[in-house]
Amino acid sequence: MLLPTPGGLTLEGYRIIIIVITALMLIVTEPISLPAIAIYILVMEVYFGIGSANDIAKSFMNDAVFFIMGSLMLAVAIIKQGWDTRIALGIIKITGNKTANIAFGFTAISAILSSFIGEHTVAAIMLPIGMTLIHFTSKNDKKVQNLSAVLLFSIAYGCLVGSIGTPSGGGRNVIMIDYLRSSNLSISYIDWMIRVYPLVLIQIPVVSWVLIKSFPPEYSQLDSGVRKLVIQVAKSTELTGRNTVAAFIFLLVFLGYIFFSETIGLGTIALTGVLMYLVGGFVKWEDLNKNTHWGVILLFGSTISLGANIKATGSAEWLAGSVVSFVGPILNALPFLGDLMVTIMTTVMANVLSSSATVAVLGPITMNIGSDPLHMGLVTAIASAFGYFTTIATPACTIVYSSGMVKAKDFLKVGWKMGLVSILILVIYANTYWLFFN
Amino acid sequence: MKILIAVGSKEYSGPTLRVGMKVSHAFKASTTIVDVGEKVSSFNTEFVGLARDRMESWNFNRPGVEVLEWAFEFLAEKKFIEPKVIKAGFPKNTLVDTGGNRSEVYLKGTVSDEVSLILRNGEIISELRDEVQSHQYDVTIIGGSKKRRMAHDLIQYIDSSIFIVNNYNPDQSYKILLAVDDSMATSKTVQYGARVAQAFDIDVDILTISKIETFGEGYKNAANRAAKFLRRCGIQHQNIYKVGNPSDVIKEIAGDNHIIVMGTSTRSPLKKFFKGSKPLKVMENCQCPILIVK
Repeated sequence: MLLPTPGGLTLEGYRIIIIVITALMLIVTEPISLPAIAIYILVMEVYFGIGSANDIAKSFMNDAVFFIMGSLMLAVAIIKQGWDTRIALGIIKITGNKTANIAFGFTAISAILSSFIGEHTVAAIMLPIGMTLIHFTSKNDKKVQNLSAVLLFSIAYGCLVGSIGTPSGGGRNVIMIDYLRSSNLSISYIDWMIRVYPLVLIQIPVVSWVLIKSFPPEYSQLDSGVRKLVIQVAKSTELTGRNTVAAFIFLLVFLGYIFFSETIGLGTIALTGVLMYLVGGFVKWEDLNKNTHWGVILLFGSTISLGANIKATGSAEWLAGSVVSFVGPILNALPFLGDLMVTIMTTVMANVLSSSATVAVLGPITMNIGSDPLHMGLVTAIASAFGYFTTIATPACTIVYSSGMVKAKDFLKVGWKMGLVSILILVIYANTYWLFFN
Repeated sequence: MKILIAVGSKEYSGPTLRVGMKVSHAFKASTTIVDVGEKVSSFNTEFVGLARDRMESWNFNRPGVEVLEWAFEFLAEKKFIEPKVIKAGFPKNTLVDTGGNRSEVYLKGTVSDEVSLILRNGEIISELRDEVQSHQYDVTIIGGSKKRRMAHDLIQYIDSSIFIVNNYNPDQSYKILLAVDDSMATSKTVQYGARVAQAFDIDVDILTISKIETFGEGYKNAANRAAKFLRRCGIQHQNIYKVGNPSDVIKEIAGDNHIIVMGTSTRSPLKKFFKGSKPLKVMENCQCPILIVK
């Protein structure tokens, strides 16, 4: 604060950078709780004169925050429906008993489902299926360590590679759409899918291959485990008519995302789904209230507010300009290096912070690197899903880690390989396939 | 009297639970056994809760329940809980979420009415501090750790007496090494030392250390009062007077066949930060169990 304001940067721009740096340090080290960090950001933005109290309050709430809130509540409603037994049966019917095929099935189903209903929901649904199969194969965890790693990472990494596929795959995608819209750039639900979904399909077999090579499973066939799983599913409660109606409501939400998201916003549609579940008695408000992390919603609101004010005060352009002036000549000669730089930067930050917070803070800056904000915006949103290395980066990794069947060091062991492969695939993909859209 | 016993796994926490329940028995204390599991990212605590709900619907225990189950079996085997409870088996369905990453199951005890098993998730020192502060425990019992930081944080942040079950060998015959001086904490230290000696049915060495060649009246009186108290309790004891650096002398005499009982440091937190404290140095140097009375 006492240092002179850097040249070309406004006083407000300088101050917002100070708030960003201190807030990031607080989020990473967590000496205070996440909601307290959100409140810190709010009050500092007002005290530092970044905007009036009303302006700052408004910047905390937009469609992206509505979507995050709505998707967290939808997750509670969907998970309570108990669709996991049917999904388990579906996977086994398609894949058969071979371990490699089952791992591929877990990855593919996790990826495809998470691209539409969000990674946190899918990971919570898939985890018990994976654990049951492992447990039925051997009750001694030590004898199936690699099998555990393969199946559980198939779920976590499947969810990660799938979450980029559509805007509703993760809050970070919606945050990016919001930033693009504020720069007068529009991308519809279908446009996003056309640009990004092929990358999901490319990554599914890659994830499966890397996992099988990194953790060679102790059993090549899971005959006994699969047989017991099928019996367990057969014993479970039949799906009721209400479960089918609940699925139909989600189908309506999904159609709403596709056809109306540009006009009324993804957040409004997600909350409409929540309203239908509440009115129909599919979920109780008490359950939503208990299982929704309001502090995290507040924090996402505050990071989105930071992102908006980084842009509004001109510090996003200043920071991007500083990077470009440093490496500008190289970027002009080799444009893909810009993608590589942004991808690495976003991946690293997502692994120590959180994927959504990374997009909220980094998005406005990276969009100013290079000449195509849409291109860089998408690269940032996609790279933020490469949270393979740590247990904290994404909900899917945390959920799988919480089973106690994989260790933190396993994430590092396989994460660096997946990270490297994903970064390379993204850079090649963005500089080949996306050329057709220019 | 309330005692908190922190366990981590059946592979490593057997001695801690054994010693903890012996002490608890001697004090006739309400006992809580806690397992602190891995910290969950604050961003995702609710998701993890939902996933665990699904796991339970597929008959999977959340991580940590197996540790509580093992603790239950230990309590049942040693008859620390009532036969009716033992017969009913480990009541995992009554593991109630009490909020703040904490779940608890109550058992009817034989030594005292209250025996409970709890699960918490988070950073161990922070969770133990929170548990001790919110439930007012008198003694926290925990296994030894090789991490220097852990020893420091336990003494600095846990607001109860701390018993660190360091390298406890059930086949070894121990004595209590009771360190006394003229500080206010000595009286309580002697009482705790006597109870532990009764719990293990062992003798006590009363150790008085002076940094100079002569022993002041305060030191002599403290040693005499301790001897008198132990005599009244019917505990065999002997007085030892030594000159030297307290932590070095304690280490030398304790060896590996004593349970050290000593008071907490009277230094201010600032002085402790720069100069360290006697209990911390003893904890770092000694290879035997140690009870620090606060």
